Amino acid sequence: METAVFYVLATIAVASAVLLVLFRNPVYSALSLVATLFAVAGLFVLLNAYFLAAVQIIVYAGAVMVLFLFVIMLLNLGHSEALESTVGRYRLTGVIFLCALLVAQLTAVGTRQLRGPVAENEALRTENVQTLGKLLYTDFLFPFEVASIILLVALIGVVVLVKRETPETT
Amino acid sequence: MLLDYANVLLFLSVGSFFIVFNLFLGSLFRPDNPDPEKLSTYECGEEPVGGSWIQFNIRFYVVALDFIIFDVEVVLLYPWAVVAQEFGWYGFGVAFVFIFILLLGLAFAWKKGTLEWVRPKVDRFRDTMTRPLVEEAA
Amino acid sequence: MAVATSHYLILSAILFSIGVAGVLTRRNAIVIFMCIELMLNAVNLAFVAFARHLGQADGQVFVFFVMAVAAAEVAVGLAIIIAVFRNRETVDVAEVNLLKW
Repeated sequence: METAVFYVLATIAVASAVLLVLFRNPVYSALSLVATLFAVAGLFVLLNAYFLAAVQIIVYAGAVMVLFLFVIMLLNLGHSEALESTVGRYRLTGVIFLCALLVAQLTAVGTRQLRGPVAENEALRTENVQTLGKLLYTDFLFPFEVASIILLVALIGVVVLVKRETPETT
Repeated sequence: MLLDYANVLLFLSVGSFFIVFNLFLGSLFRPDNPDPEKLSTYECGEEPVGGSWIQFNIRFYVVALDFIIFDVEVVLLYPWAVVAQEFGWYGFGVAFVFIFILLLGLAFAWKKGTLEWVRPKVDRFRDTMTRPLVEEAA
Repeated sequence: MAVATSHYLILSAILFSIGVAGVLTRRNAIVIFMCIELMLNAVNLAFVAFARHLGQADGQVFVFFVMAVAAAEVAVGLAIIIAVFRNRETVDVAEVNLLKW
């Protein structure tokens, strides 16, 4: 049963990721990325990362994709583009590079010990959020505080970037 | 725990099956009379002007940006809130520093006026958010 | 019967490669940005798979920080795209090849 769910979710994720690259209308691309994000959230549930599945949907599908659609509407890009203006000249290079990368990744992944049984961690499964919270306090305290500085910098950067410069300075 | 999520899966699959099945059932019985008039926005009365793809105000975008930053803040604080009681004052200090740093950003955005929906009349910084996104070449 | 970790890693590799292909072939800056998000998600999937494989929660905490950084990155990146669009009236990366005009 778990295997079947995994394969269904994996198929949805890969298919909508391919569509994300192939669609010529950016709005369709954004919607297929949403489908991929939901499938990955389902995979997180299968991997016992319940909290991350919720965060994935709240942050990515909820906030990040809304921002993407906002920008597409704001810049009036919600129409299909001609193929030559969509795909760059480096298409062949890209596909060759993709195949090489995929082969390299698959050979790196296909080692034996990764097929073996997984380690059991009862706390991670039953008290997912508590385990993460304790780790944030102890081992990851410094990254936790630095994350707030990153968010601060993003906020300031956005406020400065979106504000228009005065005509004198341009 | 994982089995609890089987309920979610069940709801999702029954829900999507319900929609697809009913649409299919409807397509078997409904009459099929295509007419261009049926596709227009208003079948009678108003003639629509222009397209439905309109460029909307950039201030929506700034509000969405402020939202995403504080959305992530809340998500990062949620595991803190779950175990905060075990850590006492130390935990309080951790979250205080975290929130204080982000409050600086909020104060900055507030001072720059990105949170105001109606722009103040006195425009000291010659702020131009109300201008069109792309200016015509002079 | 749990799905083997290698299956998750192969799925992650495929998603990452699709993201790379999108970045290399597309010219619309916003679609390129979405492909970067896809690559970040593939890496997150690998992180969580390893967290389960090793029975440690560290991988999940990493994903947590990746998501926070990704949100900040999206906010700033999209603001940059808007700024570029204001100056050039295009989001085509082939036409935005000069840092200064």
